[in-house]
Amino acid sequence: MNAPVTLPKPPGAANKLKSTRMAGKLVNDYWEMVWRAKEEGKLVCWYEGSSINPFLEAADIVWVHGEAYSAMLAARHQEGPAQAAAEERGYLRELCSYARTHLGCAVNNQRHRNGSDSAFADVPADEDISAKLPPPDMIISAYAYCSTGQQWDEMTSRLFGKKIPIFNVSIPWIWASGKDAGYCRGQEWEETSRYVARQLEEMVKFIEEQTGKPYPWDRLRELMGNVKKASELRLEAMDMCRAKPAPATLFDWSVSIAPINQLPCTTDIVDYFTNVRNEVAERVRTGEAAVPKEKYRLFFDGIMNWNKLGWLAEKFARYDAAVVAGRYTHMAFWQEPDLIDPNNPVMGMGQNYLICPNNHSSPILIDLIMGLCEKYEVDGIVFHATRTCRAFTNPMFMIAQEATSRLGIQTTMFEGDVADETFYKDELLNTRVEAMLEAIDQKRLSAF
Amino acid sequence: MGYARAWKARTGRRVIGSFPMNFPSEMAHAAGALPLIIQEAEDPITAGHGLLFPFYCGFTRSAVDQAAKGDLAVLDAIMFGDHCVQLLGAADAVRVALPDTRVIFFQLISSMCDPWTLGRSKESFEKLRFELEDFIGEPVRDDAMRASIALFNRGRQAMRELYRMRVEGRVALTAREMQYVVKSSMVMDRAEHLELVEALVASASENLPQPEKRAVRLHLSGHFCQAPKPELLDMIEGCGAIVVGDDLYHGYRYISTDVGEEGNPMDSLARWYLDRNTGVPCPTRVQNDVDWDAFLLDAMRKESAEGMIVLMAKFCEPHMYYYPEVKEAFEKAGMPHLLIETEHESMALEHMRTRVESFLELIKRRRGVARANTPEGEVA
Repeated sequence: MNAPVTLPKPPGAANKLKSTRMAGKLVNDYWEMVWRAKEEGKLVCWYEGSSINPFLEAADIVWVHGEAYSAMLAARHQEGPAQAAAEERGYLRELCSYARTHLGCAVNNQRHRNGSDSAFADVPADEDISAKLPPPDMIISAYAYCSTGQQWDEMTSRLFGKKIPIFNVSIPWIWASGKDAGYCRGQEWEETSRYVARQLEEMVKFIEEQTGKPYPWDRLRELMGNVKKASELRLEAMDMCRAKPAPATLFDWSVSIAPINQLPCTTDIVDYFTNVRNEVAERVRTGEAAVPKEKYRLFFDGIMNWNKLGWLAEKFARYDAAVVAGRYTHMAFWQEPDLIDPNNPVMGMGQNYLICPNNHSSPILIDLIMGLCEKYEVDGIVFHATRTCRAFTNPMFMIAQEATSRLGIQTTMFEGDVADETFYKDELLNTRVEAMLEAIDQKRLSAF
Repeated sequence: MGYARAWKARTGRRVIGSFPMNFPSEMAHAAGALPLIIQEAEDPITAGHGLLFPFYCGFTRSAVDQAAKGDLAVLDAIMFGDHCVQLLGAADAVRVALPDTRVIFFQLISSMCDPWTLGRSKESFEKLRFELEDFIGEPVRDDAMRASIALFNRGRQAMRELYRMRVEGRVALTAREMQYVVKSSMVMDRAEHLELVEALVASASENLPQPEKRAVRLHLSGHFCQAPKPELLDMIEGCGAIVVGDDLYHGYRYISTDVGEEGNPMDSLARWYLDRNTGVPCPTRVQNDVDWDAFLLDAMRKESAEGMIVLMAKFCEPHMYYYPEVKEAFEKAGMPHLLIETEHESMALEHMRTRVESFLELIKRRRGVARANTPEGEVA
């Protein structure tokens, strides 16, 4: 039998930030902590959507963000067993693949736990980390915009026989009604902010009931101080990517989502973003590019395709296209640190949950995106038509129309998904991106 | 829309559209308008492709398509308060497609058993009423609200009477006909509709044809926003079934719950919103103390239904989430069910017919087994 031929790996076209490598270690440490939670006698809370993790971390509750677990499985190409388990139970393929994957973890968890009386009883393979997720002691649902979030949590509760306490925080969509409506302003914004903050106060009482202890507000203040600082550093570093060539791309910021979104809010995240900010600043100073032969600058609209993160980073770099900003990375995750008062954090936390970019109706959302396109001087927008994430795809056609009519820039779309690789169509992406880049070339030529 | 255009020309009054599933049409009626629930159209999607992706449910794509084609021009305003992510996307697109039409939105809370659910529901309805009053330029009086509520209650009660009569075999209405009764109430002048339904109730027992004895009694479940295509209903009944109950939006779900006629109408509407989900649970809401699967099994017991066909609008996320619970409960209860996914553009009706025929055959065989297991059967 011949030995397998190993082809030399071509050198990476994308010049990724070195400082983001630390994210991998932090993420691994975090999931190890999650997997050890029951052995250490910790309470575990499952939640999706909004970053309520500081509330939980302060109370010494181990937090599991459903999307993060699904994204991690997809990024490691280990989503298969969870998705198969979900499908077997009857969850159809068109359902949000984040939810489907996470619910599959719950199904697997239940099967292995109840092995003796289940027709599906099975022993998980060693490499199947979908079954390693510790079951929840409580569920908190605080999902902006997408109805899927609340239903996902409800179904999780039902999968566990409705025996686990569940708390719902309702986060209304900002419809932009009234003449004073706008981004973070107007009567609707003020009223909605108060409504969410009131519910978060109630959520803290729920947490107290679960832990049986008074809520440690001082600890939350300390954690939110770190979050605020990390967020400021992250935004500062992103802002520096206005430089040409861009020192970092959306793919670097995608790797950096976990540290801002769900990792422990210790000084580690401040150190992480300090290092990132410093590296980006140094690259700006020396003119080092994230895409060595940067020829095009693009905006990425859509949620990340976690199965293809590295793949896409390389692909765009090979096209000499620097994807400099995106709706997912640049408009979410503690996006408005100025709203956070660490001494009195609840209102600002609620407001940051409200400004999840999808939670704005199109008039506000489109203005924000057009602003980013101008700020980063992009030549075009690539839309990731995320098959099972309608929260992201809802406004895409409207954004595309405005980009063309208002800014006169090119747009294109490709199909994929957040965590289900089968929806990704590589050749479609190649053809469409190449066509867009050619159109950009033509436009530049005609400008002379 | 033809009826609405004619009504508008005849009366000179406003027509106010709404999206499914929970907007109280009574409010628009009390404002002197014709309330109209936007329906999925028959047309293939064309212009709407420029606003929504094809992987959305037929209703949302059709609503956007109608707006983009100018078919909703008869509407003076659109009001809604629901939260399904696809409906929100559609509403946003409709607002863009119809810049001259006032689109009024205030989101109803969808978590149904929180201590603040009732209060927040009332706030939402008050906000909608405030915006409606702003739009029409005058207040909507409480006594007008109460009168509209009473009229709508009478309409619902009359339609529920038809449902009762169908279960008891006192009226011979096909599933298509029953859908027409409910659907027309969503788009017609309510007083006019009530008159027709009451006449139907009064005349229903005359010349009653005897149902085919071996026909399988079925419950239809699903379709929270759009009406199942009538040809699909015909096909199901044509295979040897009679539909004796449903929880379709264009069916019992829509007419299940009355609004309190006394007191503050906004309190009554808020109460109605909560009661509706307890009466006929909807997967678009979350309510941990209510089980849709248990409701379905109980409803089928009361209807003496022998099986259920689940009509799932393709891409309907709330339904996809809840379906495994229903599947599991039905399997546990030994109650047969069949899942059919429906689409806007086309349905492989012949393929579905084969599946329905097999399903009905299975139920008939179970009857045989059940008979054989009775003392009488054993003797035979």
